[in-house]
Amino acid sequence: MPCAETLQTQALIDGEFAGREAEIAEEHIAGCAECQSLCATAAQLSDEIRRHMPKYFASERLRARLDGALTKADRQAARRRPSEPRRIFWRGAFGGALGGVGVSGLAAALVAIAMLPPSSEDLTDRIVGAHTRALMSGAIIQVVSSDHHTVKPWFAGRIELSPPVADFAQQGFKLTGGRLDKVADAPAAVVTYQHGLHEIDLFVWADHGQRLAGSGTHHGYHAVFWRHDDLDFAAVSDMQPSELATFAHLVRTETE
Amino acid sequence: MSDHRQRFEALALPHLDAAYNLARWLSRSPFDADDIVQEAMLRAFRGFERLRNEDVRPWLLTIVRNCWRDSAAQRHRRGHDPLPTEADGAELIFEGSDAETKAVLASEARRVRAAIAALPDDYREVLILREMEDFSYREIADAVGTPIGTVMSRLARARAALKDKWLAEDDHALR
Repeated sequence: MPCAETLQTQALIDGEFAGREAEIAEEHIAGCAECQSLCATAAQLSDEIRRHMPKYFASERLRARLDGALTKADRQAARRRPSEPRRIFWRGAFGGALGGVGVSGLAAALVAIAMLPPSSEDLTDRIVGAHTRALMSGAIIQVVSSDHHTVKPWFAGRIELSPPVADFAQQGFKLTGGRLDKVADAPAAVVTYQHGLHEIDLFVWADHGQRLAGSGTHHGYHAVFWRHDDLDFAAVSDMQPSELATFAHLVRTETE
Repeated sequence: MSDHRQRFEALALPHLDAAYNLARWLSRSPFDADDIVQEAMLRAFRGFERLRNEDVRPWLLTIVRNCWRDSAAQRHRRGHDPLPTEADGAELIFEGSDAETKAVLASEARRVRAAIAALPDDYREVLILREMEDFSYREIADAVGTPIGTVMSRLARARAALKDKWLAEDDHALR
């Protein structure tokens, strides 16, 4: 009869156990022929792998290529980063217009208006638009999981921010997964939740200094906005505004 | 050089060799490994500001793993999925042995690597992260995006598959 403890034995070999846990596993192995054989095989496999799979090193060519790519990315980032200079630019442009320094100041102000991030009302429309598009296309979840240990790392390497991910199933808001989306052309991580039959999207994106309304409504959908550190948040759903506020409060408490 | 880049170079660049090694074993191709590492380092560079109190190495290697998965998916969509290169053995150097021993070692190395290369991606990545990068189960689970239980069962299956393969090929393989 096959042993039911083989995964525990494997965990011991892989250095996952210490103290009492290790003792229990060792006691089991002492009396189990199958696990003894498993240990011997695993150790030999491990030796062979370490002996025959040498470490490779990055070539000078790759280092040089990377150096060039980083320089380029750094230059691009310097233009975008941090968001401070851009906000100063808006302020400067408006200051010029208000100060009435003439035609060039006014022109700069007009350009600034054309380039302004979306207004908070517009942002509600866009967030609700992104939410309903995802609902209609059936692509609301790209990584399906109720385990935050699965959802959070999924975002690593896919988007340049790390959204807070927690399950609030006990409070009635079940974590269902995540996806990538956009908010006003900025990449956003979306953590998805379910409350009864209602889908909730939690949008998280890098703060670019746009104005956030506390909340908004568009076509029967409600959105709640807030900012924490350098991230902007929006929770959107067709739930009752009071329920959405409860959800937003849970997320904010978890983040802070 | 910007502060951002200096900080990145100080914290992430020391792991470049580890990143390359992982990309190399996962992709089984020196050319793909270069592309994967470059893409991963750029993603890491852009996302670096948001790294908080986390260990840089597993974070970076997770990005490498994601880049490899993305590039593999792209390749698959385009319809060409190269098989592992058999020429791998040629570039390996076994120090301090005579010619005959070297030949035996090189042939064993080829056999070991062919067996690992033949594992399905899901098994191969957990095995490589565990055996080559010394990742804990938790770190593997985070990198691969599966629960720990799945990591444990995939590791067990990967090892069982290798054992069967080696025993089938050579009864003396596991003395």
